[in-house]
Amino acid sequence: MKRTVVPMGPQHPVLPEPIVLDLVLEDEKVVDAIPTIGYIHRGLEMLVERVEFTEFGYVVERICGICSFMHGMGYAVAMEKIMAVEVPERASWLRLIWAEMSRIHSHLLWLGLGADAFGFENLFMHCWRTREEVLDIFEKTTGGRIIFSVNRIGGVRRDISDSELVAIVEKLEQLGAGFAETARIFETDPSIRHRLGGVGILTREDAHAVDAVGPMARASGIALDTRLTGTHFYDRLDFEPVLETAGDCLARVVVRVREITQSIDLIRQAVERMPKGEGAPIETKVRGNPTGETFERLEQPRGEVIYYIKANGTKYLERFRARTPTFANIPAMIKLVKGCDLADVPNIIMTIDPCISCTER
Amino acid sequence: MTNPFNLPMVGRSLRNLVSRPATRRYPSEVRPHFPGTRGTIEFDLDTCVFCGLCARRCPTVALTVSREDRSFAIEQLRCIACGVCIDVCNKDSLHMSVEAPRVHLRTGAAPGDPRPGHEEWHQVQPAAGSPPGQGDSAGGTAAAAV
Repeated sequence: MKRTVVPMGPQHPVLPEPIVLDLVLEDEKVVDAIPTIGYIHRGLEMLVERVEFTEFGYVVERICGICSFMHGMGYAVAMEKIMAVEVPERASWLRLIWAEMSRIHSHLLWLGLGADAFGFENLFMHCWRTREEVLDIFEKTTGGRIIFSVNRIGGVRRDISDSELVAIVEKLEQLGAGFAETARIFETDPSIRHRLGGVGILTREDAHAVDAVGPMARASGIALDTRLTGTHFYDRLDFEPVLETAGDCLARVVVRVREITQSIDLIRQAVERMPKGEGAPIETKVRGNPTGETFERLEQPRGEVIYYIKANGTKYLERFRARTPTFANIPAMIKLVKGCDLADVPNIIMTIDPCISCTER
Repeated sequence: MTNPFNLPMVGRSLRNLVSRPATRRYPSEVRPHFPGTRGTIEFDLDTCVFCGLCARRCPTVALTVSREDRSFAIEQLRCIACGVCIDVCNKDSLHMSVEAPRVHLRTGAAPGDPRPGHEEWHQVQPAAGSPPGQGDSAGGTAAAAV
């Protein structure tokens, strides 16, 4: 049969970020997809050689506007490991709380974008309205809605009072109760089930083979979650990874919907279990220049991110590299796109929650 | 098999018809800021000793402080409002202001008119008594001197 190549991107209505997929079609079936990335490469690895390591944290959190807190946290934690800095306990708890709030707002943002991609604009607005309340909490506690600048090597720059933490939990639980109706729509609405159910199935074996990470892997039944390693105080909380076994687009939506509820529960547990006391230190003074190398893993909303840092004893780092979750999920996306209908391609791409800004740095 | 009569969105949509809008009617209704919200950097000439610590620590090199001229300049378009300069200032000469220019109301401009608020960022605003030529060239620099 005659083959046609349809270039999708770098500008495309369904994707706000630039990635090119050359879709090779036989009639309406996609038989191959060739990705091209690199349209928004910003040269972070060169920049690190010219920006002091204390200031580079503000650059790192600008890798992405959604995982900005997690990027800043990952860099700070990795540098603390290199410099053997002991972080105050309260700072680690606060980081965990902000990280889980980042997960809530990221998933709400994605659910909205996903709903918009499959033509459910009303639902898109509901998700983003709920997300706004999380951003308000961020603004109240960090001073910013998207870029927070609260992470610093050695701790955090702002404290949250005990009474405010309790108020945040109450607010998030109200948000969770309100979101339950939206969650029910995502899980039960017949038009959503019809549009996403059985589309883009990634089996458990395939997910292993292509090294899928994050909600992508968990929707295929693989309990892959860096939080389970117990780092960053997650060992002090009780939780099970959210798993689905169907591996289709609907399963990936449902995993993210349920992870919002899970994150609210984790924040509640953290506030209950963290030691009380507003005057407790939140920062350790860091002196000297770093020497050595390390790598650090974090569970971002989209999946596992890895940072590699090499320092040479000067105030400029020798090497900084981030392997972001979208980069790990691109092979899975290509695998799913092959064999699907052209009309399903936008949904499949959206359900990996692509962040091309993260990927290309 | 999905039930085609299960329409969970319908109830929500009907409620939205009679509920208050979720958005604000800007500019008549302005969103209040929280006490800790970061905004633009403001500078107090009276207390500053021109030590230059803020300029040295600024991650984006947006600040210029001169002890000889006793002048301070901030390039607003470079500033990322991280607040490092405020943290390091020993004299509390720097603080954040969240007073954003309300472009339509303040100037009486219609929504379709060019927005003067943005141009102000590019204007050099030397304070009275500043040396001649201070801040003439660099666009986006608000300068002050005593």
